[in-house]
Amino acid sequence: MAEIQLKNVSKRWGSFVGVDNFNLTIADREFLVLLGPSGCGKTTTMRMIAGLEDPSGGEIRIDGRVVNDLEPKDRDVAMVFQSYALYPNMNVYENIRFPLRVRGTDPSEHEARVMRASAMVELDDFLHRKPAELSGGQRQRVALARAIVREPNVFLMDEPLSNLDAKLRVSTRAQIKNLSHELSVTTIYVTHDQIEAMTLADRVVVMEKGIVQQVGSPTEIYDRPANTFVASFIGNPAMNLLEGEIRDGTFRCEATEIDGLDAPDGPVTLGFRAEDSEVSATDGQITAPIYTLELLGDATMVAVRLGGALVTAKTDKSFRARIGETISIRIPRDHCHLFDAHTGKRLGG
Amino acid sequence: MASKAQQASLRLRIATYVFVGIWLILAAFPFLWTLWGSFKVELDFFSIADWTNALTGKNTEETYGRPFTGAGYHGAWVQEEFWRAVLNTFIVCFFVVCTSLTIGTLGGYALSRSGFRYTFWLLIAALMFRALPPITLVAGYLLPFFEWNLWGILPTTIIVLVAINQPFTLWMLHSFFQNIPKELDESAKVDGCTQFQAFRHVIVPVMWPGVITTGLFSFLLAYNDFAVTTMLLSESNRTMVPEIAAFLGTTYTEGNVMFAVAAVVSATAPLFILVMFFQRQIVSGLTAGAVKG
Repeated sequence: MAEIQLKNVSKRWGSFVGVDNFNLTIADREFLVLLGPSGCGKTTTMRMIAGLEDPSGGEIRIDGRVVNDLEPKDRDVAMVFQSYALYPNMNVYENIRFPLRVRGTDPSEHEARVMRASAMVELDDFLHRKPAELSGGQRQRVALARAIVREPNVFLMDEPLSNLDAKLRVSTRAQIKNLSHELSVTTIYVTHDQIEAMTLADRVVVMEKGIVQQVGSPTEIYDRPANTFVASFIGNPAMNLLEGEIRDGTFRCEATEIDGLDAPDGPVTLGFRAEDSEVSATDGQITAPIYTLELLGDATMVAVRLGGALVTAKTDKSFRARIGETISIRIPRDHCHLFDAHTGKRLGG
Repeated sequence: MASKAQQASLRLRIATYVFVGIWLILAAFPFLWTLWGSFKVELDFFSIADWTNALTGKNTEETYGRPFTGAGYHGAWVQEEFWRAVLNTFIVCFFVVCTSLTIGTLGGYALSRSGFRYTFWLLIAALMFRALPPITLVAGYLLPFFEWNLWGILPTTIIVLVAINQPFTLWMLHSFFQNIPKELDESAKVDGCTQFQAFRHVIVPVMWPGVITTGLFSFLLAYNDFAVTTMLLSESNRTMVPEIAAFLGTTYTEGNVMFAVAAVVSATAPLFILVMFFQRQIVSGLTAGAVKG
């Protein structure tokens, strides 16, 4: 049970700004994902909540209590590190038990609690192994068990899946989602992987250069990106962004003409997602020769080159064409996103 | 039929064995010679007439009726009370190792985890002091030690040896600590440790080989030191190395040189045992920095 409040939290190293004026209230039992490219300040934000980094300004509250000056151990948080940070001299059982031991929990409870935590992450058979004798996925699960054994108020996870291979990442992701549902504890999860963010989060915070770009549910972030950074960061492939000009409701740029847009005249950036567009023979708004074709199995990605940028459209898996052939891409009007050409901010609703 | 390549490799192997064999004899010979000679009388081991006397023990047999004698050991240990020097050596070594390891582990840990820029300059200053010949420090110490009546006693020597030793232990432990990921401390702190508990429960157990290796090096420095101990200790408080030097300095009495030889063997034996006992930790400690853990 914990609500976390961040008020104008900042972190500076000399003149370098790591996190700038972070304001957010994280509801009790919420699963919040901090998402952004490396160096955007997401990990720093989490480390400030954990108490491993002192904020240069602002206030952090856990359950209404200001924790700025509290040691990490007094904040009742548990953290899973990217490198797992297992204690190499202790076996799995001792690793999981460590938080109970140092906090002076009643020793008679230790075994039952360690067993329960290890069962939740399916580690029962490995309790007597040393971390060096475990695979990456197993180590990851030990780190998870060590975090849940104490039943803390807040879970902090710092890119817990980034050292796993792709297959294991999917299954561990599912496990984390299930665990968080079962334990229903406030969780803050840091990642640079937008799929993790989309699948796990109740709410996503997109950050760049220490500044919060957008806060919202995964659907909001995906469907209504607040600016061009969020638009290009979320989604695979990234949202197509075309720089052009609107005149009398019609957007124009190289080989492109989209009419019926409700926006004032002037330069804008227009964005649309590959899966919202259709490839047709002639009647689309973008007409250009095919630059490349990618067969994905369930679909085909067609890319054309406009100016310096690649514009990608998603089409049927049976679509066949040769590189260099001219095609037309149709974009439904209500799937067009308009952004200010200078600030990158979303225009209209 | 052996192929050319195999013949070549056989020749290479023989050459390797011969080389290692010769090297082993060359390296071990002084020790073996001293060990052998320590059971002879001076007229044999330092014979001017015929060096083979040292092998056959002609004079030893004439004097004691056997080709080997423990007279040198008896003289050194009983007559000259070499055990006092042994005891002093172990007192000095024990306190030097304990003090420099305590300061070294705490200081090395702090320096490796500190984000401040002055840590670099502290380490550079330590390195400079390490580069000084120990005797230069002693020269400066002598007068105040005489004036304050501190000269000649073991604690003074221990403090000076720690001072000489500390930069090295600090450097060595600092680099060991730097190889331990910071996340380990942080994880321990989030799990409920204070900084010191994290150090004690998590870092030190991981560091153990490094602590042992560093401890051994600082033990050897204290054990082998001549410059400081010979200048700062009075006759009754001498450690082994200056005591052996003193035996060698009294050659006018026949047999005293043999006390030195016997004492040398007595001083070397514990080192062999120590290194053999700790060899696994030393090797793992020395290579720990080479490969990422």
